[in-house]
Amino acid sequence: MAVSEDSIPVLKVLIIGPSGAGKSALLLRYCDNQFDPESSTATIGIDFKSKHLAVRGKAYKLNVFDTAGQERFRTLSTSYYRGAHGVILVYDISSRASFVGMEKWIDEAKSNAAPNAILYLVGSKLDKVASGGRAVSYEEGQAFAEANGALFCEVSAKTKENIKRPFVEVVDQIVQKPDLLAGAVPRSNNTTLNIGNLGNDYSSACPC
Amino acid sequence: MESLGDEPWDVVIVGTGLQQSLLALALSRSKKRVLHTDPNDYYGQHEAALTLQDAERFAAKYAAASSGEGDEKKQSVLRNATVWKPDDAEAQGLKFPRAYSLALAPQIIHTKSKLLSSLVSSRAYRQVEFLAVGSFYVYEPAKDGSDPKLSRIPSSREDVFSSQSIPARSKRSLMKFLKFVLEFDSDDQKPLWEDHADAPLTDFLTAQFKLEDGLKRYVVALTMALDGKASVRPGLAAINRHLTSLGTFGPGFCAVYPKWGGLSEVAQVACRAGAVGGGIYMLDTGATPKSSDENEKASLGLSNDITVQANSIVSGQETTTGDQAISRLVAVVKSPLNSLFQVLVEGAPTPTVAVVALQSTPSPIYALVHSSDTGECPVGQCVVYLTTMTTNGSKNELEQALTMLVKAVEGEESTSPCLYQLYYEQAIGDGKPTTEKLGATSALSFPPLSATLAFEDSDLEAVKTAWSLVMGDECDEETYLVFEDREGADAEDDV
Repeated sequence: MAVSEDSIPVLKVLIIGPSGAGKSALLLRYCDNQFDPESSTATIGIDFKSKHLAVRGKAYKLNVFDTAGQERFRTLSTSYYRGAHGVILVYDISSRASFVGMEKWIDEAKSNAAPNAILYLVGSKLDKVASGGRAVSYEEGQAFAEANGALFCEVSAKTKENIKRPFVEVVDQIVQKPDLLAGAVPRSNNTTLNIGNLGNDYSSACPC
Repeated sequence: MESLGDEPWDVVIVGTGLQQSLLALALSRSKKRVLHTDPNDYYGQHEAALTLQDAERFAAKYAAASSGEGDEKKQSVLRNATVWKPDDAEAQGLKFPRAYSLALAPQIIHTKSKLLSSLVSSRAYRQVEFLAVGSFYVYEPAKDGSDPKLSRIPSSREDVFSSQSIPARSKRSLMKFLKFVLEFDSDDQKPLWEDHADAPLTDFLTAQFKLEDGLKRYVVALTMALDGKASVRPGLAAINRHLTSLGTFGPGFCAVYPKWGGLSEVAQVACRAGAVGGGIYMLDTGATPKSSDENEKASLGLSNDITVQANSIVSGQETTTGDQAISRLVAVVKSPLNSLFQVLVEGAPTPTVAVVALQSTPSPIYALVHSSDTGECPVGQCVVYLTTMTTNGSKNELEQALTMLVKAVEGEESTSPCLYQLYYEQAIGDGKPTTEKLGATSALSFPPLSATLAFEDSDLEAVKTAWSLVMGDECDEETYLVFEDREGADAEDDV
């Protein structure tokens, strides 16, 4: 790679939404190109996944964070939202209830994330349309997203349809906002300490 | 969706205070089934960071002075809470409630603290933004016609060397003392102080090092002893910690502070690690142990009418029997007090926390001043956390100290108003967890964190005790809070 790892801007994007909406499926398909049709259990062990991508000819590292099951009883912490450049809100187009619940998720995202963070609404499980499973129309999703200043698309983690689109478009939006991007460039401010760099020396120096 | 009530949980953790949350982190790579609840609808409990809305609810909840009577007198750990703001606070500059994050636990964390090494070894530190704690000051009252001012305490040897305000002779004494403190616990130096270990530090400083009064005040202020009676052993240990922590993570600072609300942030990050490890989180949910038979697992009734069984229960003490407490005043001030946050050492990060000691009787007052870089208030304002031992007049004294502090920084004619304040008292626990048996279930309750201005590593001991209790036979100390990163450093590129 031409540029060193340290100089690539790191973007933090969260995926939120009700349990069972397909958040982890979206994450795993996009980042690892994996899909497990049998998996319907709550997600354990995934903190975030990283992916490199280039938008407008420039490389970025995208860290995509999963809810770690904390959406189930709506116990996502305020710290989860810290420093997020974008929030992807996922509902299941085959579940009316999951769409109705988006109002609250939008509110939570707006009140916890930075005011200029990008919001992106995703209707998941687009593959279910073929079997007549659609419960929320495209137009409804689109209108709701527009009303809340969010972008919108529908995806299927199963068929991969549109799977990259939310991530690429979120990044594309982020990079057009210099004030939002400013925090992504490593060492752009002089207050936050890089304890990570010291971590290794630090552990080895500590005999405990 | 799996049910909460069917099989016993390996542990039900009640409360998301720092210690409970670190326990959740410690268990996050085990196979233990963890249910973690909190009666509040926010994380952190006694270590929470509050928006102004939260602060109002907090004050209402802990407004009472004490409960219970006579021998059974049990006092809430948090009490006498009130909030106040001027009638025209918004017109004067108070922003919307979520623009603030008032820390109930604004402890600074020394760079040598085990809390930091545990966060590093458990990889949880990546989600916490640490900021530098800057200078320590002593408040000097007006004298000989001069205005009151804050004097910065020179704390490193270079600092003492270059200081203009200390006469050469005093410098030599102070240097000698600093050199001694660095090795005070060595066999060579012990004889010098062991016989006076419990005597007042100031007497020792006079007798052994002939420090003059001004310097003694500097030294005592650095101990951050709230009772103002720092004795020799803990006093020397505190100054040793201060000096040896300097420079560990970079030039110019001895301690760090987690951005956005101090230990609250650490608790939340630890809880997330618990969730990533499969722990189930429920806020706004109280949990009360129900009576249980001798040989059976205890049940807990959750406030949402679900009953769960637990092999072990870990909670935090909500009441104490002791009378001693500290008083805390959290004040939002409409001024950035910029002069307290200057970079004084080349290459040092911009400090975001300043420590100010004010003399007062019977015990001193300490102020931790946080700049808006902490994320706790909007730009152009600052948050001042004042602490002293509780007496009848503490609230008044803290309010006066706040005024004195602002005037000392900005000048007598300063009119920077206080836009909001939260006052409360916090009991000093005995630092020991309580344990009991509920049928076949072991229950442990954490004591309140040490009522100190700097995080005390001794508060971590109970977390390990609780971890051993939950792990039982599978307890392998080598693995305690030592984890690999969850995510491989890089997924494949897709450029």
